[in-house]
Amino acid sequence: MSGPAPILKVDKLCKAFGGIVVADNVDVTIDRGEILGLIGPNGAGKTSLFNLVSGVLKPDSGAIYLDGALVTGDPLYRRARSGVARTWQNMMLFKTMSVMENLLIAPRDYPGEKIGRLLLMTGRVRAAEQAAKARALGILDRLELGRAADANVTDLPFGHQKLIGLARALMNDGSLLLLDEPMAGVEGAAYETMQRVVREEAASGRAVCVVEHNVSFIKDLCTRAVFMAQGRILETGSVDDLLKSKVLTDLYFGV
Amino acid sequence: MEYILNIGVQVAIFIILASSYNLVIGYGGLASVAHPIFYAFGAYGASLLSIHFGVPAVLAVVAGGLIAALASVALALSSLRVSGDYLLIASLGFQLGFLQVIRNFDFTGGAGGLSTIPSTITGAYRTPAFLALTVSCAIATVWLISRIVQGPYGRAITAMRDEELAFTALGRNAMSIKVVVFAIGCGIAGIAGGLYAFYYQYVSPDQYEVLQSAAILTMVVLGGMGTTWGPVVGAILLIAVPQAITFLNLPPSVMAPVQGIIFTSLVLLFLFLRPSGLVGGSGSKPKVGSESATGATGAKT
Repeated sequence: MSGPAPILKVDKLCKAFGGIVVADNVDVTIDRGEILGLIGPNGAGKTSLFNLVSGVLKPDSGAIYLDGALVTGDPLYRRARSGVARTWQNMMLFKTMSVMENLLIAPRDYPGEKIGRLLLMTGRVRAAEQAAKARALGILDRLELGRAADANVTDLPFGHQKLIGLARALMNDGSLLLLDEPMAGVEGAAYETMQRVVREEAASGRAVCVVEHNVSFIKDLCTRAVFMAQGRILETGSVDDLLKSKVLTDLYFGV
Repeated sequence: MEYILNIGVQVAIFIILASSYNLVIGYGGLASVAHPIFYAFGAYGASLLSIHFGVPAVLAVVAGGLIAALASVALALSSLRVSGDYLLIASLGFQLGFLQVIRNFDFTGGAGGLSTIPSTITGAYRTPAFLALTVSCAIATVWLISRIVQGPYGRAITAMRDEELAFTALGRNAMSIKVVVFAIGCGIAGIAGGLYAFYYQYVSPDQYEVLQSAAILTMVVLGGMGTTWGPVVGAILLIAVPQAITFLNLPPSVMAPVQGIIFTSLVLLFLFLRPSGLVGGSGSKPKVGSESATGATGAKT
């Protein structure tokens, strides 16, 4: 591949739990500004790939490069600081906290988590808090959820909670955004908003990867998609081409 | 009068212990039963430094706190690395093991304890002076802990307790927060131990039994786990109530079981009727870092 280095490069990644292979020699690249779709039947290894890239799981072998730097051995928290932002299938919001607090905890740089800084460098902590608050309000406005800032996250409707999951990931201004089934259970206005914001993020230069069963969402957003089954990448190409392949659709729809 | 002042010192020491235990278990969600042994590390550390090396009392108390904090880091690093659940078992082993060590070494005075701790304040004002000192330390403890659990750090602790995986995936170092919270809580318990040692000039292993953590936990639960003032109210009540019973002039053989029954019934009653404790709100879940996002509402135009 020529041109600038990809934001994410996954090289011959392997991971197995006992006999169950979740990643079998997986190679994926995502370029700046690209929205890559990740499709395949349940148990194909899509979420596992997200877990490997974001650092939740350690691969058995293979390498992961972020912005050209090897990050395979980095622990989960450091991976996020290097610029991997992600959402979760089941959202995993902080349930006892308000929408605003869910977002304020999420910037890459959070000086308030060091007790020494908290007690001695109050100026720096306060400045970071102010910056985070402004950023959070901006993101909530883009998602048309500015009014919900002080609400407890569990008091919001499901679709809005999904958007808060996205908003929290957007607090991380890194180069890679992983979205795990962002549309599951989302409809109406929230659907439109989700689509718009994901497009805007890619347009701003991020690399985005979406795991999604909603094929029309993938068709609308992605120029390229990857089809996975049993931990392997079976095919990469345009969404239309992938959906034309009878072998793949049979696998996907379980015929 | 002396008697009342003496109870005041005890209450202050237990406010320090209960508040620090609340930081560990109530806010941090770290299930440790080893709080008494960190109290012991502080008491023995300060006493031995003072007896054998002539270290001035104030320095000895601070050093006792540091020893307790360092020991807690060793326990936390070994058990929290695997999973939070291991802390309960590891802390139990730590508590029982080190108490046996203290009980069996000549250096620590064995089962008889240490009774040659130098007197630091003498004369008629000794008890009032200690009361002022311990109450000041109690106020400082409550202030420090409330400072920690508010704002960005408290928010991090709450988020970590809510969803640790999502929290870590945002770039937050959950392990470091747990170790720090545990070390601060245990270090403060160590300082309480040092204060105790210099006030009573006597420490013995019996005062740091694992059951002591049940008493401290009772104070925390009764007052309100995960609240700033809960442990304070709990400590005052649970020191004062048993003292009031002594006025009934019951024989010691009856007194101990009666106090045990009262403690147990109080805990059971509170768990059923008011799980959030006396100070806690109507909800049963502790909430920290709830500083409201001022100016957030109405920003949408």
